[in-house]
Amino acid sequence: MRIGRLRALIRLLSLQASYTYERLQGVGIAVAQEPLLEPLGKDSERARAARARSAQYFNAHPFLAGIAVGALSRAELDGEEGNRILRLRAALSGPLGALGDQLFWAGIVPALMGLALVAAAHGRGLEAVLGVVIGYNVCRILVTGWGLRLGLTHGLGVAHEIAQSRLREITTGAGALAAFVIGGAIPWIALWLLQGAGQSRLFMVGLVAGSVGLGVLTRRRPLSAPALTLGAAAVTLVWRWGSP
Amino acid sequence: MSELPVLALIIWGTIVGLDLASVLQGLLSRPLVAGGIAGWIIGDPVAGLTIGGTLELFALDVLPVGSARYPDYGAATVAAVALGAWQAWPSALGPSVLLGLVLGQLGGWAIVAHRRVNAKALASLAPRLDRGDPGVAARLHLLGLSSDLARSATLAVLGLGAVGLLLRLPPVALATGHVLTLIVVAGGFVALVGGALRRAGTARRMLWLAGGLGLGLLSLGLR
Repeated sequence: MRIGRLRALIRLLSLQASYTYERLQGVGIAVAQEPLLEPLGKDSERARAARARSAQYFNAHPFLAGIAVGALSRAELDGEEGNRILRLRAALSGPLGALGDQLFWAGIVPALMGLALVAAAHGRGLEAVLGVVIGYNVCRILVTGWGLRLGLTHGLGVAHEIAQSRLREITTGAGALAAFVIGGAIPWIALWLLQGAGQSRLFMVGLVAGSVGLGVLTRRRPLSAPALTLGAAAVTLVWRWGSP
Repeated sequence: MSELPVLALIIWGTIVGLDLASVLQGLLSRPLVAGGIAGWIIGDPVAGLTIGGTLELFALDVLPVGSARYPDYGAATVAAVALGAWQAWPSALGPSVLLGLVLGQLGGWAIVAHRRVNAKALASLAPRLDRGDPGVAARLHLLGLSSDLARSATLAVLGLGAVGLLLRLPPVALATGHVLTLIVVAGGFVALVGGALRRAGTARRMLWLAGGLGLGLLSLGLR
């Protein structure tokens, strides 16, 4: 089982390679579950039914999908009824997605990148980049491994264990941390990029204030910043065409 | 560019493309990371961090959630750094970041194409997958991995090809380069601030954002 768990963990690192709009991460989940389902044999009726179930529609945050892989595999190995396993699959999909998106994409990643940007503004960019990448990946693998263990231990009861864990508190804290770090990084990034480009502090203050104002005004109907930038650049290129 | 950096940049561009969604998702595809390492490969880490840092402002507005279409800034940043390296960045930052933004959108469409390739393979093997035949899921997964490898390598080659073409054109006038730099930095700030406000969502997090901004301004003032 230990080797199977390790193989499942390695496979979870490429969970989304076979992502489709039809089954989302379904095939990736099946691939990750395969080593854990080996005790059921290769061609038995039970193994076939378990493999078929493992490739159905599924979507969660990729780092927390280990919880589902572990729990679903445990339920299959324990001989739980097929419909109960499919219900667990459906029940885990949404919460693991929302929790992971908030924790990682809206929390840890912006916080770390904000810190790395401040370090770059202070001339310590490469060291910060290496530190952030190593730290984040260690954390990512530990979280996926923890989830796999949690799922394998608790099977159908895993939802209760998630509710009991400190995941929700950590997620709330990560969101607040990200907001704080990004807020603190804004003046330093402005100084780095605009003073380096020869602009005055007054211009920097105006730019940051203008961005905040535009951000507040367009909060409900967000602007596409890349489209806005590319449009303004195209106008500039046409306007200054042939200028020295 | 010598031959060695081009090969190394293609390999790095391919790695960061794979990292975006298919393998690891370990921040390698973040523009600051992709750009910093690309700059180090080229021998101009400052350009890599500056160009990558500016593109990172745009990337911080992106939530790669579910089946949404989002730009792929990894290989795009590598190409942007190759264009802007060894140049005075107040005028080179603008054109480089603009190239990165265009290639990033192209990368976003390539992700959709990759998922459609996966879907086609899935449609042909779905009956066997739903019967529980052994090895079918692994086959589909390997196909997905290899097609994303091809997607990432193609984007890296296309990006560096675009750089090769742009370097042959007469350079953008210095004053125009300065204006373009201000435009991309301003656009980056709109993305950064807009993204932070939307992510914050609740009043409590808005306070954290405002607190961070206040502390940042204070630390800058005390510098």
